[in-house]
Amino acid sequence: MSEQSWSQLPGVSAETNKFPARSSIAGEGIIVFKTKTGYRGVQRACPHMKATMMAGELTANDTMVRCPLHVFTFRLSDGRGVNCPGFEIKVYEVKEEGGQLYGRSANELSLTPGAR
Amino acid sequence: MNSKRSFVLRGGHVIDDVTGFNRVADVHVEDGKIAFVGSRAVDPATEVINVSGNYVSAGWVDIHVHAYGTLGFSNPDTIGVHQGVTSFVDAGGPGIGVLDQFMDLRDRLETTLYAGAFIRPMGLLGLNFIEGNVRTLGNVPITQWVDFAKQNKDMLRYIKCNAMGDYGPGTLRLTKGLAEILGLPLYMHIGEFQLQNPEHLLAPEAFKIAEAGDMITHLYHGNLGQVIDENGKVLKVVREAQKRGVLFDLGFGGYNFSWDVAEKAFAQGLIPHTISSDLQQFNVVRPVMSLANVMGAMLKLGMSLPDVVARVTSTAAQAISIRDRAGTLEAGKPADITVFKVEDGEFLMLDCYTKTRVANRRVVPILTFKAGKRFEANMTLGQDESNWFLQIAEDHVPSAAQVLSSGQREFLSALVEALGPATWDLSSAERLDIERALELQDLFHATRIKQDLSLHEALEALYACFLDNQFTMQVGLLLVRLEPDFVKSRFREVAGARPLAA
Repeated sequence: MSEQSWSQLPGVSAETNKFPARSSIAGEGIIVFKTKTGYRGVQRACPHMKATMMAGELTANDTMVRCPLHVFTFRLSDGRGVNCPGFEIKVYEVKEEGGQLYGRSANELSLTPGAR
Repeated sequence: MNSKRSFVLRGGHVIDDVTGFNRVADVHVEDGKIAFVGSRAVDPATEVINVSGNYVSAGWVDIHVHAYGTLGFSNPDTIGVHQGVTSFVDAGGPGIGVLDQFMDLRDRLETTLYAGAFIRPMGLLGLNFIEGNVRTLGNVPITQWVDFAKQNKDMLRYIKCNAMGDYGPGTLRLTKGLAEILGLPLYMHIGEFQLQNPEHLLAPEAFKIAEAGDMITHLYHGNLGQVIDENGKVLKVVREAQKRGVLFDLGFGGYNFSWDVAEKAFAQGLIPHTISSDLQQFNVVRPVMSLANVMGAMLKLGMSLPDVVARVTSTAAQAISIRDRAGTLEAGKPADITVFKVEDGEFLMLDCYTKTRVANRRVVPILTFKAGKRFEANMTLGQDESNWFLQIAEDHVPSAAQVLSSGQREFLSALVEALGPATWDLSSAERLDIERALELQDLFHATRIKQDLSLHEALEALYACFLDNQFTMQVGLLLVRLEPDFVKSRFREVAGARPLAA
């Protein structure tokens, strides 16, 4: 994955005082979470009933995000549903450089259907 | 008469429509049975529990919960005796192919668990897995059902099917036929849908097929196929079913209670005969939380407290034919009792569609007695993440695996051998190979029988390989959720581990 695939995230920066925050990547809406180890993006709506992930809650030491509607829970590392097999979300790497946030898809990097 | 299960509940307001009580009275319990309600002398050696200021009713009966399977709980008693509920029915968790596994769960609970068995052999799949379409309905082994019902007469309380999908009303008719053969009520879900064609809704068909004593659940849902039309008027087909004596069940659930629908239908006299929660791992945190919360929603709609209580006691017990043992404080009945209070205040009450209402009363359980055994109410146990978050231990072997017996480890070894090069496709929301899941389950049973291991021990061994918190679910379904190589390597790992020094 080359550096070129990073793109600057509009509407959000390190100065943003409230996370999660809305942004987009390649025209697709994403929600950016601030975690204990940095930032992570997820698709805008839960794949189950389309609830907004803006209301999502970080859980399991900030390694998972839980939809508020029916507690479907997804791993931030690869987007796999933890208690809802068959469901997954798109996740995005997000990095900070000079106060700006940049994102790129993380599913291609780590999404393998393996159980490990 | 001085055992721990003999006592007097003093000074509570007793509500029991069977005996006609709606006033302050003492409840005398002897040897785990109701002895007398009213005032009479008490042996000084008998324990007296002061419950004045509270209400006392028969133990609550929730005819629609999910205790077993992909929707169930690690400890289903957390939504049972710990929340004022002394008997509940799993609405569709088990089918004929897994009723034996289901009974293993039933046997370790304090709350009496019954099966509202599902027409499909694996039971409810949950999680919006697209069901293996109509194919699995070629697998309704009537003789097996009849044999099972004969041997376990008490456990089956109704036969459930879902009025969903775009295959026409065949499923409903087939289930009605099976229910008739078994002499049980038909219980139909008309709530949220999969694969629903708005042109061919099955909900109206459900109301047509149901006969007196059959039940329809999710009465006030707000999805496709509501009980009211676009002008808010109750449908004719629903009224006709009501006149025929079809029973309506609330089934609040995570998707199946709408304030808008409820208020309109209630105002027109379309009122549930039974109040049930549909509690499951995906709605216990919100919006359902407890049967008590759902009872509060009915108070908010305008139902009186005695009417609410009847719908979780005598009427609920009647609907599932357990009035001989539950639903009333009649002398001689098992001492299943719920002590609760009604709190005044301002309480925000959610439906399933982000609409809220402010209620000025709520129902709060205090104490539960199951055949005289006492449980303090605890409304937060059920919400504990470990109770509802079914997570596969992918990166470590659960500690329970370390205490398996040598017989259990030999069984896992034999299972790996029996699986051999067998493989299966990982299930997804779009694809679930239910026939393969059933085959894997058959292999599990054949292997445990060969190894002379009890079902309980075999299940314990299997769950211990993958689950930190004990959940009970369909063996075949658990396996097809997991990668074949991962399953085999985990079995090998656990089977080969040395047991902890005895």
